[in-house]
Amino acid sequence: MIEELREKVKKLLAGGDVELVIGWEKGSQPLSSTPVFIDSPEEADRLVFDSTCGNNPAVYSTKDARRLVKAGKKVGVVVKGCDARSLSLYVAEKQVKRDNIVIIGVPCRGVLDSDKVEELAGGREVLEYSEQDGKITVRGKDLDLTFDAKDVLSASCLACIYPDAKEYDIFIGEARDGKPNKEQNAAIDEFEKLSSEERWKRMEEIYSKCIRCYACRNVCPSCYCNECFVDQNDPQWIGKTPEITDTMIFHIIRNLHVAGRCVECGACERACPMGLDLLLLNRKAAREVEERFGYVTGIDSGEKPAMADFREDEKQNFIMG
Amino acid sequence: MVRLEKGKFDDFIRSLAEDYIVYAAVTTGGKSSFKVVASAGEIDEGRLLTDRSPKEIFFPHSEVLFEYDEDGIRETEKAGKPIAVWGLRGCDVKSLAMLDKVFGTARQMPDNEMFEDPYWKRKYDNSLIFGLACNEPRSSCFCNWLGGGPHSEDASDIFVIDAGDVFLMQPVSDKGKAFIGKMTDAAGASAQDEKRAAGASVAKASGADEKKAAELASGARAMMAEPPDLDGLDERLKGIFHEDIWEEMSAKCVNCGACAFVCSTCHCFDVQDEGKGGKGKRIRIWDSCMFPIFTREASGHNPRPLSRDRFKQRVMHKYSYFVDNYGESLCTGCGRCVIVCPVGVDIREVIKRVLSFEGKGAR
Amino acid sequence: MSNTYIPVNMRVETIAVEDKEKALRTFDLVFVDEADGKRFTYMPGQFCEFSLLGKGESPFGIASSPTETDFLRFTVNRTGSVTNEIHYLREGDTVGIRGPLGNWYPVEKFKGGNVVIIGGGFAFTTLRSLIVYMLEHRQDYGDLTVIYGARNPDLFLYKDELAQWQKRDDLTLHLTIDKPVEGWTGMTGFVPAVVRELAPSTENAWVVVCGPPIMIKFTLPVLAELRFPDARVYTSLERRMKCGIGKCGRCNIGSKYICIDGPVFSMEELGEIPETP
Repeated sequence: MIEELREKVKKLLAGGDVELVIGWEKGSQPLSSTPVFIDSPEEADRLVFDSTCGNNPAVYSTKDARRLVKAGKKVGVVVKGCDARSLSLYVAEKQVKRDNIVIIGVPCRGVLDSDKVEELAGGREVLEYSEQDGKITVRGKDLDLTFDAKDVLSASCLACIYPDAKEYDIFIGEARDGKPNKEQNAAIDEFEKLSSEERWKRMEEIYSKCIRCYACRNVCPSCYCNECFVDQNDPQWIGKTPEITDTMIFHIIRNLHVAGRCVECGACERACPMGLDLLLLNRKAAREVEERFGYVTGIDSGEKPAMADFREDEKQNFIMG
Repeated sequence: MVRLEKGKFDDFIRSLAEDYIVYAAVTTGGKSSFKVVASAGEIDEGRLLTDRSPKEIFFPHSEVLFEYDEDGIRETEKAGKPIAVWGLRGCDVKSLAMLDKVFGTARQMPDNEMFEDPYWKRKYDNSLIFGLACNEPRSSCFCNWLGGGPHSEDASDIFVIDAGDVFLMQPVSDKGKAFIGKMTDAAGASAQDEKRAAGASVAKASGADEKKAAELASGARAMMAEPPDLDGLDERLKGIFHEDIWEEMSAKCVNCGACAFVCSTCHCFDVQDEGKGGKGKRIRIWDSCMFPIFTREASGHNPRPLSRDRFKQRVMHKYSYFVDNYGESLCTGCGRCVIVCPVGVDIREVIKRVLSFEGKGAR
Repeated sequence: MSNTYIPVNMRVETIAVEDKEKALRTFDLVFVDEADGKRFTYMPGQFCEFSLLGKGESPFGIASSPTETDFLRFTVNRTGSVTNEIHYLREGDTVGIRGPLGNWYPVEKFKGGNVVIIGGGFAFTTLRSLIVYMLEHRQDYGDLTVIYGARNPDLFLYKDELAQWQKRDDLTLHLTIDKPVEGWTGMTGFVPAVVRELAPSTENAWVVVCGPPIMIKFTLPVLAELRFPDARVYTSLERRMKCGIGKCGRCNIGSKYICIDGPVFSMEELGEIPETP
């Protein structure tokens, strides 16, 4: 698979079909990969794709304007299913022109949650990692463990409905159709059963650990505001402390702002240095949007995003609570 | 050097807590930080490095500078008991000593107390620091690039080596010597003094202990890869300030503050007032040069408008500017930034890239 | 141990509105506690953190001269939330001041020399301090030349004082506005062009330039053209600041902190800083 990807990328770059390809390369840490920008065929062999590729590379197509499409130049983006949804969202939200991106889908089997791996490793440092047939093996000093991938996958992947790109130009291998994955939504079901006081408490538990580093926001493909409300100081909308009152406002507003726009890639949660369960609220919001507006984010770039559209027949029960 | 049997560790911590506010590594919800403890059971000894940096013991994420109301300004309460920190790794001990230079008057006229940061000073100056040797450094550790080492005693008051069944304690500073002296005295005369019973657990370390300590030290050092030569890095960075290489090095950085907030030496802060109706407080809060708002002026002008500019500032401050001002890099090689960076920026690779750069401006 | 983060109380004695749009106000403050006033000794070019409890702090250059012992003067341009609040102050209100902070214009070095002062817009505050100081110690200095530009006549600070200075024969004052306006008898044109036109002599001269970044940017090459050595040209920098005592890192530029190593720098010093000021 990886050879096919590298060859395809080489061809795209050599033929001048794209100026640049955004993907992943091996990271410096045993359980990591890192975003990479490939601009010549010789460099294409750096590309990797495996279950450490947790970043959403779509981010760089808006955040790194310099690299994108300097006056209409084409950029290739290697994408998992969720990353592809971000690109479709960008097209729908007119952040990128469809013609300017070449979407290169890769078959995703889910990405790792390194916190889960570390927990299973029981504090011993993982120095080597390999994966085969749904099994993951980690090795280190006094450490040699093999487990089912599903035990260490990111929560977003366990609930994934579109592991492979829906909209793409090139797919490496064969793209699988998306399928509803209701059985993995237990966490949201549980949350919905809670009383509002209990929900608040749950949210306080989550957000009290926040250190306000904004890694979640900055790796989030849907957070592309030129200036985030937390970065405005005149007026200043929100206190800057790590106290729950301030962190809660940040996370709730971010949650509402990405409602109907979140592709549930889980990049935020994996980025969080404090291990906050950031997906819970985001996935709850995605479910709300789907139930109320029949809209799933980033599946069809031709469809108007739920929050940018109004249909007379849409359910308006939320108005009455 | 003295030895403390681990069976007596709990007594030791409890006894320490009588005279000090004791901080040690505590893990909750999978993430660790230095917290106040009263007993050994609360301490996570398995951790090599806490997820959060111990700088927050002396320089909290948010700290009240003063409170105010209609009667005027009220300074926050000055510290009561002194602080003791158990189990700081060598990198973290060193980082506190660096921050003490910043918050003290190392750069300004030392007799001008105007430049002394009272909030830091009143806590740090009275503290007792137990450094803890790293017998098994992680792959992300690079203290040996920056003059440190897994068994470095620098800046500890008392240096502790975990030697299996015992902690071996080496007094380093005068404060540390006095403390150990008191403990051994107590050990001598402990029978009647129940309160000082903890002291009874220490004994002079044996020759075998000393040998074991030396073995652990050389073993730990051998686990770390040979460091590159960073000599001249500070000048080299200045030389390439205007080169395109920064574009390449910063390309994947998303400008979040994860590195700065887990960093044990990043100390930039914001000052904010919180209150209403004539009552409130002025607080300082960690800030990061990675954020665009850090330097953006009221007019909208930002002297560091680009992601690249901010990335460069952080690197320059650590490995060049700080060297000019304080004679060392503002980095101890703890590797926390390497571990947390959400996009896999590894500062070691950045340094190596700078060292290998052969374009214009490089010497 | 003193605590530099704690502001001392000052009372707003008088408020003067400088311009028609009321965006520029000058506040003369007096110490509530005389002892604080005795401790507060400063030099032209230094600044203070102006503190409003509950609103925050903002740094301003001191516009009064140390020779004016009964008040401390600040001129505040309304640009953001703190300056906005400062504009709501009334005479008699209490404010907090932390300072004096930073370094100052090297008036000792200037002794015996001719001094050319070039200012623009509302950055004239600490230049006023410097001019008043030198006029008070007039015998210590040679020729004093002041070139001061503003967008229009209304935007000059301290208009009454400027009028008095114009009458003096121990100070040459050139006022210039960007575009001609009816009734204006001074010069017309941007500061850099006026400096080139007036071509002050470099002989035994020191220059102090202070103004908006764009003015400084275009004036410096003119000074170089006129062959003023970098070591004899001084400017005062502005950046966002918080602590004012070299801790918070905000005003870091190169190895310098504007709050403690500056705000006054010679062009020679700035030349050694990689980051563009």
